[in-house]
Amino acid sequence: METKKTVLSFAAAGTVAGVAGLVLLASPAGAGEAPPELPAISPDDLVESVLNTEIPALSGSVALENNLGLPLPGMPGSTDGAEIRVFTDGEGKHRVQLPDSGTETTVIDDGKTVWVWNSSERSVTKVPHGADGKAHEKPLESRFADPATAARELVDAMQKDSEVDVDGTARVADRPVYQLVLTPKPTERTLLREVRVSVDSETRVPLQVEVLANGQAEPAVKAGFTEFADGPQDASLFQFTPPEGATVTEQDPNEEFRGQAPKDLFGDLDLNTYGEGWDTVLTATIPNDMLTMPFDEARPGGDRGDRGDRGERGGFANGSDNPLELLGTLGKQVSGDFGTGYVISANVGTALITEDGKVAIGAVPEQVVIEAAEQMK
Amino acid sequence: MTTVPTAAMSDVRTTTRATAPLGRVLRSELRFILRRPRTLVALAALAFTPVIAGISVAIAAGSMSGGRRDDIAGIAMLVADNGLILPIFVLLLAMPMMLPLCGAMWSADALAGEASTGGLRNLLLAPVSRPRLLAVKAFGVAAVSLLAVTIMAVTAILAGIVLLGGEGMLTLSGSTMSVPASLGRIALLTLLVTIQVWAVAAIALAISSTTDHPLIVLAATTGGIVLFTVLGGIDTLSWLHPVLLTDGWLDMADVVRDPLPADGLVENAFRATCYILIGYSLALARLTTRDG
Repeated sequence: METKKTVLSFAAAGTVAGVAGLVLLASPAGAGEAPPELPAISPDDLVESVLNTEIPALSGSVALENNLGLPLPGMPGSTDGAEIRVFTDGEGKHRVQLPDSGTETTVIDDGKTVWVWNSSERSVTKVPHGADGKAHEKPLESRFADPATAARELVDAMQKDSEVDVDGTARVADRPVYQLVLTPKPTERTLLREVRVSVDSETRVPLQVEVLANGQAEPAVKAGFTEFADGPQDASLFQFTPPEGATVTEQDPNEEFRGQAPKDLFGDLDLNTYGEGWDTVLTATIPNDMLTMPFDEARPGGDRGDRGDRGERGGFANGSDNPLELLGTLGKQVSGDFGTGYVISANVGTALITEDGKVAIGAVPEQVVIEAAEQMK
Repeated sequence: MTTVPTAAMSDVRTTTRATAPLGRVLRSELRFILRRPRTLVALAALAFTPVIAGISVAIAAGSMSGGRRDDIAGIAMLVADNGLILPIFVLLLAMPMMLPLCGAMWSADALAGEASTGGLRNLLLAPVSRPRLLAVKAFGVAAVSLLAVTIMAVTAILAGIVLLGGEGMLTLSGSTMSVPASLGRIALLTLLVTIQVWAVAAIALAISSTTDHPLIVLAATTGGIVLFTVLGGIDTLSWLHPVLLTDGWLDMADVVRDPLPADGLVENAFRATCYILIGYSLALARLTTRDG
């Protein structure tokens, strides 16, 4: 019965191999890997190289995670780890693809025109660049898909008020990176502990940004490449011809370009900032009708899959179920020189929304948003 | 070893000749499966699905919906005047239940079905090695599964061109692909779907080797698919999801994105391969230890 034994051991080996393959699939990539050896670099040199690097031609996938526990307006993909595919030729042409289950939104900037294709509506929005030859504003969908630029802007804005340090090396998107850590100076009044930027050791492109709040082990916000490859891209990626049968709408480049999702939300908001550095507070005024609009239609993040319905304003206030009432259940009522409002606190920040539509939000304690609201006109 | 008697050598040769040539055995196994009425009914149903889907889209363009399935609903939006995407649509439609059940049915017939009529007993007693018997059965199931998916794809291509028309294929990413490139994507999806069906069939064959009742195989496989789908829908079990065979089925719409995102598709195929390996290994172990 030698053969029977041989056959059985083959069968056992096959089962083990199959199970091992499945375990491999379930285990996170790069876990327990030693950090790569890289030549030492001073924090100042690293910051300088980050700020001076031109973003090269690249292709990659970007993943966003947030543990804020709050819906972030216009942050696509934050729900289900959906990855955003990005391509750029390094000279101003971009392609951003936001895949969702069975649908896709594709944003292509071909250098002259920004095209937004929405497969679930089979529609195309065409926005020619403004007279200065530049895209007036990036569509909201693609704004979050560029961690490299976001990280650069963050480092630029924050370095003055931060202690900057290099905290060893790591791997992001399978590439060795330096970890640039910005911690708030003691004078900063913020709820954040640190911002961690992973800088590619070779191209000096920031590959990942993590924002960590006090008392939280997991980053509150994490945006970064999961795949990254620099090198020339196929020119056809940055061309777009509206397919036959698609609805094409052209938008005036001089109007605020708000992309598809939170239509009308960021218009007329009168955005301002108070303070600088870590305790910056963003203030805005929400048009009155939006506060009294039924909640479902005002909510910018919406549920997945109903992108098509979002943004079309439906029936107005019948008084019930509007955002103000919801605020009453979410937040704490406060009053002061600014009137009456509600404070909503999360681990990473605080928001104050008053009954007359004033909003102040920042990664700061309650006291600081109230100060900002008091300064608002 | 040089002194082996010539008689022994010729003995060895006669034994080898006693087994039928593999090609002929495989052909006869396939003919055997295809002659069963239920196989023909299943293949006909698979062939008609695309035609029915095509006609309903042609009559009521744009009002197709995938019920509660986002992936299907998304592709359905693109089917009107875009005939070459119909094969993608119907293959994804048939992926979660129809095709896996066909694969399971053929696996159920292959061993449990034979056992229920007493045919397996003869096969096990015959001087045929058990691995060879399993290989022939597995080949039959795999070949007829491939045939089923291909029939579906081909009738869908024809139905799409005739009923819906369109030049090339409009992808989810908004680009229009040439006809050869579209056919390439359809062929790719046909292959990927077939691999998934093979995985289900392999597990079903393992179950099939343990029982004499083909219905148990079908019930267990259906139950397994439903269970996996439910587990896959529970977010707190996300650590488990990469292991579930059904997990990537809905992501196969990736074949109509441009450029092709290969990662998820490769992972899907790899996952299915693991299941194939496990299924056939278990079936082999059971069949080898099974008494004649």
